[in-house]
Amino acid sequence: MKITVLQENLARGLGIVSRAVSPRSTLPVLANILIATDEGRLRLSATNLEMGITCWIPARIDTDGSTTVPSRTFSDLVNTLPGDQVQLTLDTKTQNLNVRSGASNNDIKCIDAQEFPPLPTPDMAGAIQLNVADFKEMIHQVVFSASTDDARPVLMGVLMNVEKDKVLMAAADGFRLSVRKAVLSSAAAHPVNAIIPSRALSELARVAGDGEEVVSMVVPKGRGQVIFRVKDVELVSQLIDGTFPDYQQIIPRGYKSRTLVSTASLLKACKQAEIFAREGSNVARLDIKSANGGSGEVEISATSEETGKNETIVEATVDGSGVLIAFNVKFLREALEVIKTPNVALETSAANAPGVVRPVGDEDFLHVIMPMHLG
Amino acid sequence: MKAMPRSILHLDLDAFFCAVEETRDPTLRGKAFAVGGQPGERGVVASCSYAARAFGVRSAMPMSRALRLCPELIVVSGRHRAYREMSEKVMTTLRDLTPLVEQISIDEAFLDLSDLRDPIERVARQLQAGIRDDLGLSSSIGIAANKLTAKIATEVGKKAAEKGQPPFALTIVPPGEEAAFLAPLPADMLWGVGPKTMARLNEVGIHTIGDIARRPESDLVTRFGENGRDLWRHANGMDDRPIVTERETKSISQEITFSRDVSDDQSLEKTLREMSAEVARQLRKTDLAGKTVKLKLRWPDFTTLTRQATLAQPTDQEQEIASTASALLKSVRRSGQAVRLIGVGVSSLGAPVRQLSLWDDGGEKSRKLQEAVDALQEKYGSDTIHKGTR
Repeated sequence: MKITVLQENLARGLGIVSRAVSPRSTLPVLANILIATDEGRLRLSATNLEMGITCWIPARIDTDGSTTVPSRTFSDLVNTLPGDQVQLTLDTKTQNLNVRSGASNNDIKCIDAQEFPPLPTPDMAGAIQLNVADFKEMIHQVVFSASTDDARPVLMGVLMNVEKDKVLMAAADGFRLSVRKAVLSSAAAHPVNAIIPSRALSELARVAGDGEEVVSMVVPKGRGQVIFRVKDVELVSQLIDGTFPDYQQIIPRGYKSRTLVSTASLLKACKQAEIFAREGSNVARLDIKSANGGSGEVEISATSEETGKNETIVEATVDGSGVLIAFNVKFLREALEVIKTPNVALETSAANAPGVVRPVGDEDFLHVIMPMHLG
Repeated sequence: MKAMPRSILHLDLDAFFCAVEETRDPTLRGKAFAVGGQPGERGVVASCSYAARAFGVRSAMPMSRALRLCPELIVVSGRHRAYREMSEKVMTTLRDLTPLVEQISIDEAFLDLSDLRDPIERVARQLQAGIRDDLGLSSSIGIAANKLTAKIATEVGKKAAEKGQPPFALTIVPPGEEAAFLAPLPADMLWGVGPKTMARLNEVGIHTIGDIARRPESDLVTRFGENGRDLWRHANGMDDRPIVTERETKSISQEITFSRDVSDDQSLEKTLREMSAEVARQLRKTDLAGKTVKLKLRWPDFTTLTRQATLAQPTDQEQEIASTASALLKSVRRSGQAVRLIGVGVSSLGAPVRQLSLWDDGGEKSRKLQEAVDALQEKYGSDTIHKGTR
């Protein structure tokens, strides 16, 4: 293999795929990045067996070939190379990769590409098409609600449901639930119902870039995988086996009190409360006070044995009776952070009943948070 | 599986305030003097030297009366900061011996020495000598299988000492002889027997602790209600209150030293479960929950280890404490390995705040069940109802 690439392209490509590398695997080759010539371009791939990322970059190919390069060594080196052009030459026999750029000349010991787990070559026909910017927003609005506790693997994923032109994503960690809906510009050929690891979606949002590009998604039948492709990047992820909890049952059908507040003001109050709440159990109390004529206020407070206490009053329009309710303020802050509308509605029924957070004027997103019991 | 009889040591510093004053001013030694308020200020005697006691001076007596009893009495104003500092030094000495120290006042403490290898009498003598030589303070010690008897043993030792000088007494009640030791003593030496109760006891012909012990328990319950039950148990030398190590609760724990090393997995699991239940009950009773569960183990060769795990949320539930402790046990002990002591504790205490779940995973249900069990036990006693084992 003998090729020449632009340092900038190589560095970008390595930055994208290196997130799928598993540096501490028992399989040494998984700490490496596969580089292979592929129809006039250079293909970079990494996988941890659960998720694989592939990226194609432009290259001038003198001779074809492939190998796997230790990710850390290669990435760190490429990021500091002096010249524009980087020449990669593989000695197939010794699996030594010579990396030459400007006055810098390096040899990296590689592992034969044959040892790298094969990545699927997907058939993208009939793929569901999603707008990158919209899809990224959907991902951001749900992934934070997924669980990080591997005791219940299903909750570490995001439920993705596509039916004709309707798409829905939901994630819940047992204490909170995010649900986001959207409409596709063109209807999907086949319905999809899959639980995708939240980590894979976060990575996808990171590598997908910005702008008006399109994400193609396929869930090949019977393979237990999902494949996303954006421009020159492809991400494959294993799906999570199991049944996602019936989230619709969790969403309260009514409320006793609906509190309208400025999203920014409530978010700021939560951030301040969190400074104190994080020392203890993360509890913030919301004292929602209703007044005649709909005007009212929310008093947000948090107390720490060690650091002190905080109290903020946010103006609100309270429809219904007042309530004193306690939330994990980190949960509330994370929900408010993904709400784009200037105003937000908090629907509550009782101190021990789920609260619902909705962006005002946007029916596509909702978030349910269970309160904390103060003992 | 039986618990080994405990060795509880009660230590009381002899005429503590006066002893501290003597270390500052040795000329006071052997003289009749008292620490307290000046007579003109209607002061009372806070502490008096043994020479003063020979004249009938007692603490809490008005200073004017003390001076009438002993005209040459020297009155020294109290310096409470110095006493507190000295008390701290004594308590540190005690904690060097064992962490199981319960300080009950500025000059008194209980120690649980159940698990010391050396003979208890030698340990006690060394302790007394150490406090005298290092700090210049005389102390009296009572040792018994429980707190009640140990404390009374100290008093008995002090009373028997020669008048006019610090008693420096050591009284040991061997295990099993509690009731016999208490029997001849006047009934008002028992905790909870004040002048009123004493008068009522005298009315029915009870004068000594033995008189109480010989009565049927039911008779005392009829006369004195729940207190009657305690009175009867105490008179018979029964008292299973544990040593409470810290006044401000930082952790709640239980431990047991087996009378014989235990190597049976199931017995250990069962002990762990029972102790977890007790710890959980104490947490709920004090309206606390903790995030850290600690396991303590001592092997037959006396090496001790502790392991702890932090939970996602504070707990006051038996099941959670027991399963965490059991997992810790499995991580350090191989099946069949003998254990001398096992303990469970919960720390990082705070208000029992908990995050509610979106869907009930059974946690709320078992919590409600627990509340019902607590209420029943509170009302009808702890033997009324128990969780069954599956």
